[in-house]
Amino acid sequence: MLAFTKKTNSAALAFLGGGAFWFAIGATYGLFSAIDLVAPDFFQNIAVFVFGRVRPTHVNTVIYGFITSMLIGCAMYMVPALLKTRLWSERLGWVSFVLWNASVLSGPIGFPMGYTQGREYAEYLWAFDVTLMLALLALIVNIVMTIAHRRENSLYVSVWYFVGTAIWISAVYPLGNVMWHPSTGAMPGLLDSIYLWFYGHNLVGLLLTPLAVGAAYFVVPRITKTPLFSHTLSLVGFWALVVLYTHIGGHHLLQAPIPNWLKTISVVDSLMMFIPVGAVLANIWLTARGKTSLLWKDPAGRLVLFGTLFYLVTCIQGPVQSLPSVQRLTHFNNWVIGHAHIAVLGFSGFVALGAMWHVLPDVCGKKIWSQRLVSLQFGLVMIGIVGFFVVLTVAGLIQGGSWYNGETVYRSLPLITPYMVMRALLGLFIIASAWVGLVNFIMTLRHGQPHISTPIEEAPS
Amino acid sequence: MKMTPALLVIGGLMVFWASVTVAVFLPHATLNDQPSDIWKPMSEPDVAAGHKLYVRNGCSYCHSQYVRVLDWDVGSERIAEKGDYYGYEPAILGTERTGPDLSQEGGEHPDDWQLAHFVNPRITRPVSLMPAWEFLGPTEIRQLNAYVQFLGGKDADVRVARQQRWKPPAIAAWLAGPAKNVEWLHAQVPKVWQAMPNPYPATEPDLLRGQKIYQQECINCHGPVGDGQTVAANYMQPPPLNFTILRGHLVEGKYIGGIFYYQIMNGITGTAMPYFKRDLESEKIWDVSNYLAVRFLGYTDATIEPRGIPASYEPEWKNTFVAPTTQEAK
Repeated sequence: MLAFTKKTNSAALAFLGGGAFWFAIGATYGLFSAIDLVAPDFFQNIAVFVFGRVRPTHVNTVIYGFITSMLIGCAMYMVPALLKTRLWSERLGWVSFVLWNASVLSGPIGFPMGYTQGREYAEYLWAFDVTLMLALLALIVNIVMTIAHRRENSLYVSVWYFVGTAIWISAVYPLGNVMWHPSTGAMPGLLDSIYLWFYGHNLVGLLLTPLAVGAAYFVVPRITKTPLFSHTLSLVGFWALVVLYTHIGGHHLLQAPIPNWLKTISVVDSLMMFIPVGAVLANIWLTARGKTSLLWKDPAGRLVLFGTLFYLVTCIQGPVQSLPSVQRLTHFNNWVIGHAHIAVLGFSGFVALGAMWHVLPDVCGKKIWSQRLVSLQFGLVMIGIVGFFVVLTVAGLIQGGSWYNGETVYRSLPLITPYMVMRALLGLFIIASAWVGLVNFIMTLRHGQPHISTPIEEAPS
Repeated sequence: MKMTPALLVIGGLMVFWASVTVAVFLPHATLNDQPSDIWKPMSEPDVAAGHKLYVRNGCSYCHSQYVRVLDWDVGSERIAEKGDYYGYEPAILGTERTGPDLSQEGGEHPDDWQLAHFVNPRITRPVSLMPAWEFLGPTEIRQLNAYVQFLGGKDADVRVARQQRWKPPAIAAWLAGPAKNVEWLHAQVPKVWQAMPNPYPATEPDLLRGQKIYQQECINCHGPVGDGQTVAANYMQPPPLNFTILRGHLVEGKYIGGIFYYQIMNGITGTAMPYFKRDLESEKIWDVSNYLAVRFLGYTDATIEPRGIPASYEPEWKNTFVAPTTQEAK
């Protein structure tokens, strides 16, 4: 029974397909949100399209459904490949897949009907927090057992990041969702915001970032056919990430009445994020040095290359906007939405897509149906994300500037109308890229030419 | 340094939990949460239910609940303190201001304004981006209103009491008929403002600016022809004023500009008429006053005596409007 769940790489393939599917759904919900901000009576009195309900659907579906699923799928292929073994249990992988997607599915089904815990990024109801945790624990068992059965002694840097992600996020998630308070998923009083933003920021820092960095560390040396530039930089990047990222959630609350020492730590460590980011990017780019044309020619490599570029943009902008003087103009407005999109879609989303197309032939044994469509996806999502970033940053500065100079929120709304229209239109490019990708994925499975997978030649330390 | 599985897992967990101790457990242990001077328990069932609705419907994605030192908008009379949130679960602070901060919203507007605004925010706020919540039905809207009127704790109580203090006389005046109503409304404006003309010329550009403001702030309650016959009138007690009747109720037969200015700036607490002193600065209010007077009364007191030295920008402009006789106005 269910013989397909025993097939090698079938669980990885399931996660990749889930990611491609949820990208299309999550981006479409983004469009509904964008329409609400252009024409609030467009969906008048249709409860399921109200902004407050579609926005969490968009956000959670993209984070957990699209990017995390896709990168878990990549990791489930990359870890065994790097360790010259197989995934310890495909069936356990499928258990993770089913449980994980139960949580993700609870978003588009539950949130539009008002079934949510309502804390930003921590909206899933307690039951679906539980399924997500069980999925994570099953993944941890699977990865640890795979490592135990490895035939390659040294652990490549990608493996560090995937293992790190699994053990960190399985602690961050229950803490941030306050799972010991099942009915509200929250702590009482102001303390809740400290839990929430520890979690909210580490969702990027200890989930999306290490997964994406791990995947980029795999793809870039492989496409450029070059061993990794530096083991030392790998170590610096890895350990500095977990030391620093974990402290900086407080920068979301600089203007709220949390303790000052916590704000100070969060700002200082935000600035120090230049260390892990610089180490990782230097390592990846120096590996690709002189061979970026190889990355550019391969649409999957191109996605990863631009993902790393957006990582730089994100991580220059992020520390700068953690400064209290900058936040006076950027907090509470669309600047932050622009930052969130360049971080989540620009960095980890690009890397997830690139890594997915890179490993897909090895995972499913078929060549990509259309490299042109991968290129098209790249072009569409590039236009979308760059446009988004510019438009939202400008809109945010307009809002922030007018508030700082004494205008009310209400008076600033007409000022951002043209930007909200442009954002909705640019969103169409992102949605198109998602659906193009999904079609290409399905066609690859159904009509792709056979592909003989190449084993990983060496696992540089 | 060689990364072994043991180093990776044990080291990774040690560093991680050390950080969690600093970033989460230490604040948890030392926050010393006590109720602030304005804090109130969420004891009324409607308030607690409204809080749940606020959380479930994602209101916090557009409304923050903490006022910062640099804020000018609603609630900026009081900077948020940690004890304001004591025991609320969740105290939902928010990250975005597509709408105003709501931490001091209680009592800003009376219940009828809030009701109309929940049914469709455009009824009271023409350029609002908030969704219409009519689909929630009357019970849930009542609960949301109870929660919103609760926001601000004891400070909100003062404002809510003020709304309730002035609602009955405002309704009584309206029920007494248009003439008595206007008489009462005029009487609520300080004497010095009543006999004050609009000091600025009602030039065409001035009136166009006034019109733009009117369309963004006033039109959905008072209507395109200023008669107050709008959807909003169905929700409000007393309903929005019909400006056209003011033609027969000029102060001393000629003044109306000062009354307009004062009522726009200050609002009429107890009625749905909000204050606009945060939204509009002085020049804009004078422009709207001239617009109301010229468009809906066919008369403005702009630049009539008494007046001081004209502002330097003022063009040569002669007020050719003739004050209506009481007989003609009726």
